[in-house]
Amino acid sequence: MATYTLNINNQSLKVEAEADTPLLWVLRDELDMKGTKFGCGKALCGACTVHLNGNPVRSCSIPISALQNMKITTIEGLSSDGSHPLQLAWMEIDVPQCGYCQAGQIMSAAALLNSNKNPTEAEIEAAMSGNICRCGTYPRIKQAIEKAIELSK
Amino acid sequence: MTTNINRRHFIKISGITGAGLLLQIPLAAKTSKRLSEAATFAPNVYLQIGTDNSIIIFAKNPEIGQGVKTSLPMIIAEELEVDWNKIEVRHGGLNPQFGAQFAGGSTSIKTNFDTLRKAGAAAREMLVQAAAEKWGLDINNCYAELGFVYNKVNKNKLSYGELAEAAAQLTVPEKPALKDVKDFKIIGKPIKNVDIKAIVTGAPIFGLDAKPKGMLTATVLRAPVYGGTVKSFDATEAKKIAGVVDVVEIKPTENPTVLVAGIAVVAKNTWAAMKGRHALKVEWELGAGVSESSENIDKQFITNINKKGEIQLREDGNVDEAFANADKIIEATYEAPFLYHATMEPMNYIADVREDSIECWGPTQVPGSVAGLGARITGIPREKIIVHQCRIGGGFGRRLMADYAAEAIYISHSIKAPVQVVWTREDDLHNGFFRPAGMYKLKAGLDKNGNITAWHINASTTSRGAFSGSRDSSHVTEVFPDGFPAGFVLNFRMEYTPVASVVPRGAWRAPGHNATAFVDQTFLDELAVAAGKDPVKQRLELLGEEDKMMPYRDHGGPEYSTKRLKNVINLVAERSNWFKPAPKGIYRGFACHFMFGAYVAEVVEISLLSNGMPKIEKAYAVVDCGLVINKSNALNQLEGGIVDGLGAAMFGGVTIANGMTEQNNFDDYRMIRFKESPKIDAYLVESTENPEGLGEMTLPPISAALCNAIYAATGKRIYKLPLKDNEFFNQI
Repeated sequence: MATYTLNINNQSLKVEAEADTPLLWVLRDELDMKGTKFGCGKALCGACTVHLNGNPVRSCSIPISALQNMKITTIEGLSSDGSHPLQLAWMEIDVPQCGYCQAGQIMSAAALLNSNKNPTEAEIEAAMSGNICRCGTYPRIKQAIEKAIELSK
Repeated sequence: MTTNINRRHFIKISGITGAGLLLQIPLAAKTSKRLSEAATFAPNVYLQIGTDNSIIIFAKNPEIGQGVKTSLPMIIAEELEVDWNKIEVRHGGLNPQFGAQFAGGSTSIKTNFDTLRKAGAAAREMLVQAAAEKWGLDINNCYAELGFVYNKVNKNKLSYGELAEAAAQLTVPEKPALKDVKDFKIIGKPIKNVDIKAIVTGAPIFGLDAKPKGMLTATVLRAPVYGGTVKSFDATEAKKIAGVVDVVEIKPTENPTVLVAGIAVVAKNTWAAMKGRHALKVEWELGAGVSESSENIDKQFITNINKKGEIQLREDGNVDEAFANADKIIEATYEAPFLYHATMEPMNYIADVREDSIECWGPTQVPGSVAGLGARITGIPREKIIVHQCRIGGGFGRRLMADYAAEAIYISHSIKAPVQVVWTREDDLHNGFFRPAGMYKLKAGLDKNGNITAWHINASTTSRGAFSGSRDSSHVTEVFPDGFPAGFVLNFRMEYTPVASVVPRGAWRAPGHNATAFVDQTFLDELAVAAGKDPVKQRLELLGEEDKMMPYRDHGGPEYSTKRLKNVINLVAERSNWFKPAPKGIYRGFACHFMFGAYVAEVVEISLLSNGMPKIEKAYAVVDCGLVINKSNALNQLEGGIVDGLGAAMFGGVTIANGMTEQNNFDDYRMIRFKESPKIDAYLVESTENPEGLGEMTLPPISAALCNAIYAATGKRIYKLPLKDNEFFNQI
């Protein structure tokens, strides 16, 4: 067991954990931040997507020991009150069915819009194709991303 | 329900909410106010109105993404006559006063519609009566509107909260007057998911997010072969892992849908439980299941479909004579694989088994089964078992089995602490209850005009009823003797033979139909082409000009309307411009189906990529499911069913070798992705007929519409799903 200091959602947090503990389980079990979801444990489904220095990563596959001096953003930190354009658009379009994958979907979309304010359809497809939704809400996810781009203008 | 005048409808809210519920219950709609300790008018189990004007409506059934946590309360709110934005929706826990509480067969709306309307209307009537008594008026001079009762004479008004105490003294009317459908303000409107804000902000609302005080986490190592048992195990190394607190052997039950053999590693956190499991040394008794394989199952299918079926399900006319006299005979054999549920939230469950009670949290489509299993495993009486409902990260039929909840109860009972069982994706894939695999041999005779004169289907599947020990005949939910085109082909034979297997099977979205619609609707397309007929016109011709009610002795029956089926066919043809030539490079396929009381017709448009592979461009669906409750969610369900069905048709499929599933995770069990999802035109028929099933409708025929489009584009027929297992498709 070692103590790590993590920068999560602009807060400095101390966590005691084994060095190989994935960020996902640090967030969920140690910090009780349950917004980041467990889906596959192998970086295959995107449910656990968070931002590392603004880039989308699968938190199930990154050990806590690799996170020193990194800036981590989770769905809880995307906005303080659900007012990020993507969150507003998601609500407006009524995207979710079961809702489980949606935090990961939003985090993937947010990383895209962070680096590219006006992505092409192909760029959206490339950014979003790592996130699985078994309910099949892809058409609404697409609409919501387009809506968020419009809201951000 | 009639009760005497008493104070039983007037309760303290604090006495109702379950103690120890640590999930955040998200607030409904726009209200941010939590209920105060105000006294409450609660004429039935579905709603509570506080003297502070707080209104809570309870959703009784599991929410698996089908939308009932929103749509069931909408029905109550409609009749209660309240402002949807000023109420709070909560999930009800397991409670016998709610009646049956489960999510299955697309039944939540249709079986609760009348009861929920009455629940809302009864409360409204009591509030109006309370106002009339206060004002000394006839009730006909009072009316309810958006949370107030108005005095028609002087326009005075009293809020529901102001009337709550007086209303609580009144008798609950047995037959309250229901609204006229034309006066509906909430039902039929697009209402947003009540949990939408919680979902997009990452609030802890799912079962996996719950964490009662002192909760431990367990992972379970199960046999590498279905039906395998533990010979011996050594937990020394596992117990050395930091955080591991205990190791428990789970003894299997005789029925494999309850408990399978396993070794549970209990730890202070999930990662320690996973590492501990990895360090276990177990010697398994593999058992007879080790010889099971897809190859073995396929061999039995082939034998079965080429002999007389064990069960003769339908025999109309003289089938043999009709084949002898046919101008043309067409035969085809179809194959459907085992399918995995792939709910995005893996199986998990929390049980806190105490001395004489149990408290449970987690995702299940059958909270009542959880209580039943709790009683069976621990001996604690059912009424001492509290089952909380959480939002569920997908069901699709998988969570009709409560095996993982049984594990949590078993382990908690053994270690006397609250424990959450967490399955990894690999556990979830290996220990699924798959859509049964099947083979279907079809033969049809055509006369010289291309009319279908004879139809013979000989099917064999790994019946799920036979696996779970159902008392129904093994064919139930596998094949449907009254399904179209049965009854429209004069000489018709259907026979069926089940195949036994150790491979676990269960209900998978649109059970049975998810395979039969593919088979029937692609074969009909082949017959249309052979007869030189347009596929849409062929279906309409078969159904006939005269409108009829056809007997349908299955779920969704007892009959179906050819008028409504023809209507959805005509509408989808119109919306997709079916009778106009397709744009250059676009190829189309059509399919239709009746199931669970609803009618669906679909068209898929594809193009061919430069490498010859099909690309799905657009899908059209028209559904008639009677009255629609929530238009936004209803369309979402139609869209989702299409995407899901296309994904399963292209990529879905579990294969078995040495008594175990060969696939492990989403790398070898491929799901449809964002970029493969087509544009969708989904349309709901405007209707005031009784609401019917909706959540599963668009899935079954979409595979057929896709395969028929592929034929139109390539001249190649798809007889075997998934598409990726067909030679020409495997470059994707």
